[in-house]
Amino acid sequence: MFSSELKKGSTEMLVLSLLESQPRHGYEIGKLIESRSGGRLTFALPSLYPTLLRLENRGWIKGRWVEKAGQRERCFYRLTPEGRRVLAKQQDNWKAYVAAVNEVMGTNGV
Amino acid sequence: MCDWEAFVRAQFRLPGLAPEREARIVRELAAQLEDFYREAIATGASEADADAHACRQIHDWERMAQDVWLADRRHARPTFERTIEPRLERLTSGQQALPHPSRGGLLVVANILRDTRYAIRQLTQTPGFTVVAILALALGIGASSAIFSVVNGVLLRPLAYPNPSDLVRVHEILQKFGRFSVAPATFLDWRQQNTVFERIGALNSTGATLVGAAGAERIAGGLVSWDMFDLLQVAPALGRTFRAEEDVPGKDGVIILSHGTWQRRFAGDRNILGQSVTLSGTPVTVIGVMPAGFPFMSDAEFWRPLALPANPTRGGHFLAVIARLKPGVTVQQAGAEMKTISERLAVQYPDASANESAEVIGLQDSVVAGIRPALLTLLSAVGVVILIACANVANLLLVRASVRGKEIAIRAALGAGRRRLILQMLSESIVLALAGGSVGLLLAYLVIRPIQTLSAGSIPRSNDISIDSSVLLFALLVSLATGILFGLAPAWQASRSTIGSVLKEGGRSSTASSGRWVRNSLLVAEVAMSIVLLVGAALLLRSFARLTSVDPGFRPEHVLAFRVALPNTAYPQDHHRIAFFNKLLEGLDALPEVTSAGTTQTLPMRGDYILSFTIQGQPAPKPNEGPSANYRVASPNYFQTLSIPLLRGRAFTDRDGEKSPMVAVVDQKFVERHFPDRDPIGQGIDIGNGTDGFYEIVGVVGSIRLNDLETSPAPTMYVPFTQDSFSSAWVVSRTNGDPAALWTSIRQAVQAIDRSLPAFAMTPLADVVSDSLAQRRFSMLLLGLFAFIALFLAAVGLYGVVAYTVSQRTQEIGLRMAIGAQRGDVLRLVVGGGMKLAIAGVAIGIACALALAHLVATMLYEVTPFDPASYSATALVLLAVAALACYVPARRAMRVDPIVALRQE
Repeated sequence: MFSSELKKGSTEMLVLSLLESQPRHGYEIGKLIESRSGGRLTFALPSLYPTLLRLENRGWIKGRWVEKAGQRERCFYRLTPEGRRVLAKQQDNWKAYVAAVNEVMGTNGV
Repeated sequence: MCDWEAFVRAQFRLPGLAPEREARIVRELAAQLEDFYREAIATGASEADADAHACRQIHDWERMAQDVWLADRRHARPTFERTIEPRLERLTSGQQALPHPSRGGLLVVANILRDTRYAIRQLTQTPGFTVVAILALALGIGASSAIFSVVNGVLLRPLAYPNPSDLVRVHEILQKFGRFSVAPATFLDWRQQNTVFERIGALNSTGATLVGAAGAERIAGGLVSWDMFDLLQVAPALGRTFRAEEDVPGKDGVIILSHGTWQRRFAGDRNILGQSVTLSGTPVTVIGVMPAGFPFMSDAEFWRPLALPANPTRGGHFLAVIARLKPGVTVQQAGAEMKTISERLAVQYPDASANESAEVIGLQDSVVAGIRPALLTLLSAVGVVILIACANVANLLLVRASVRGKEIAIRAALGAGRRRLILQMLSESIVLALAGGSVGLLLAYLVIRPIQTLSAGSIPRSNDISIDSSVLLFALLVSLATGILFGLAPAWQASRSTIGSVLKEGGRSSTASSGRWVRNSLLVAEVAMSIVLLVGAALLLRSFARLTSVDPGFRPEHVLAFRVALPNTAYPQDHHRIAFFNKLLEGLDALPEVTSAGTTQTLPMRGDYILSFTIQGQPAPKPNEGPSANYRVASPNYFQTLSIPLLRGRAFTDRDGEKSPMVAVVDQKFVERHFPDRDPIGQGIDIGNGTDGFYEIVGVVGSIRLNDLETSPAPTMYVPFTQDSFSSAWVVSRTNGDPAALWTSIRQAVQAIDRSLPAFAMTPLADVVSDSLAQRRFSMLLLGLFAFIALFLAAVGLYGVVAYTVSQRTQEIGLRMAIGAQRGDVLRLVVGGGMKLAIAGVAIGIACALALAHLVATMLYEVTPFDPASYSATALVLLAVAALACYVPARRAMRVDPIVALRQE
């Protein structure tokens, strides 16, 4: 639906946002993006998973193998304090950017 | 699907990531795929559909691996660096006194180990490539190790005597025949007058009849100067060697046994010393046993004193002379002195020794001089095979390197320096080469026995051929050298790749064009080198074919030859011996399966027996300047038995007896040389065989080859065996069937006359003729084998390059077909591309072969080194094989589906 160029810039922020409230595992993250966007945003495993690794390597999220009652063992990712700071900054940036784009296009409020 | 982890692991490789990191990623991906699977099951899909749904989530695993790798580069360090290196670091920093360089050394070792591990991991991931490369190298290294083991055993390894480099062979040089055996009187003068030798000794081979439990048997032995064993510096295993006073006729009733004979015939009895054994009817006392493995005169089962008479001959040359140099004396100095002495003797004894000289050469040189050129040619040939294998593997590596361009670029991006990359690629090729070398050694080990069998009889010292530590070292060095040689091009090319260009090209090589140039050049070189070997093999093959079709002048088929040696004790006089042979020939003629039988003293193909002669009515020539010719005694039916045609006059008859007028038969060459313009029949010749008077020529027979098939017939004179009797002679019997079947009846015929006489050296005459080609057969078969390997490697190389080109051009081919190209066009495109390279290689190869041809000239027979047939046949064979190697990938190209090919973009 959206071009991959457009999606690429926002994947990291989307993942970080979804982890803000609680730790989640990889499959859940993909599914949440799809359902919350009403199916308009989908991230296939081959693009989502390397993103998780990249974020973890930057120290913004941290994966941990957890076995929850009645479920299989899964790797749950949670935000690190560093990740939380980065997310806040990215959200601010994003809002400012969207506002600026809307201003330019004259579509504010539509 | 029950085991998603195994599924992921099968799809997915993360070379270079730490294993535990890799494990975690695999586990997590597996868990996610399983989630997709369960989701599908939950929505009511069948298990198969659920599997398919999960599998669809990741369709390009290679891309996935690259993305993961890029994302996870922090962990892209081999375990080694993280575990072993810090330990080394700790180890070295803990020992402050340790000087810096050795710490650096440890790190170098660490790097090498890491590169090796990485290389092995890389190679096991592409088993097809690895197996082909190892096999190509194994063929090259195996062939070269096998030939090196021959060269090493025959040419390089010193003779098995103490201080072997001091041992020399001394020859007489005769004006007419060159290097020659030594006359006994000359030998005694040399011994007395020389100042350069510590010891000098003479030997002559002999044989004796030994009557044991199994009946009469002929055994080979040697007659040697009393101090021969001291000269060789080999002590007996048992007893003593000869004493000077035993080296005299009449006092020489002593014998030294070889170790093998002592074991076989006397059961290793330690009480053998002092016992008497009967040799050819004469009792002799055993005084010693030589040690096992004593290589001197390897056929000899015993040695007895030479016991030269007090006044020996100066005209008969039959001794081989060996000497040991005094310390500090060189072969050249010894040669100079021996020359001086001989020339003085020539002046002193003008009747017998006029114009004679002497020559000294190293003993080992004298043993192996004949085979050296052939072995060195073969060694160069295997060198070429190795180069071809190298070019082949280099090409495979280049193809692989361009496929792996992205991996290499990523490694460069991760901070691997150019040196690091080159070392990495090199360590991969060295690991390959060592693996190829190991398999090659195994091959060499397997072929060494057949080579030994093939070389027995055609190569001196063939018993010394073995795989020893020098061969192992050779194989190791060759492997390392080849590893570096074929690894350099790909390593250099890989190190030139830049990250941006590789990644930009969507994974295809940035260096496509320069890579193609290198690959094509290597291929052309490969084809050219194969041509050189093939031409060499073709020339030898044609020489061999020419030789086997040479007419020896006699018909060896259906003839059995054997020897009989009459002991002087039982057959002291001429008439005893003549009577024996007459009786034997009668007995053989009486056998129903024998159509005719004859005797002579020297069998054709067994060398010269040359005597001087003078022609009646011509002035007596100066000493040593008169004519000479080959000399044979023959029985009446000898010519008929060997099917030597009678051209004029008559052959010998039963009436040509001991007391009849002396008659001779000469051959066509003799007539051409000595009676070019007059009738030889009725002419007289005085032959220097110890008889007085002239032999009257009564007949002329066809000429035969006496030495081997390649030496043209030389003038020959025959006299009746009754008029110059020999105690040891060859008997030939012609049959209509298989000559080997005569064996038993002939044995019985001999035993019927004298139970104590063995008939020995029994061989079909055809084998004697074919044995004279043994050395050529050896060179030809091996060179042929190497040429075949070269052809095979070149074909594999061509196939590989064309197949790779096809795989790279699939889209282009698809496009061409989509816009109307026919299958024939595609075939022409692909095969044409490959054949252009092959033709270039053939042209260059032919040019190189022409330039190198003179090197094999000495090994050819009636074939010029520029033989057009050999060259054109070789080119045709190679082009045919090349066409086949191109056709296989071309067929695949023709089947390209344009739609599929275009969709790949």
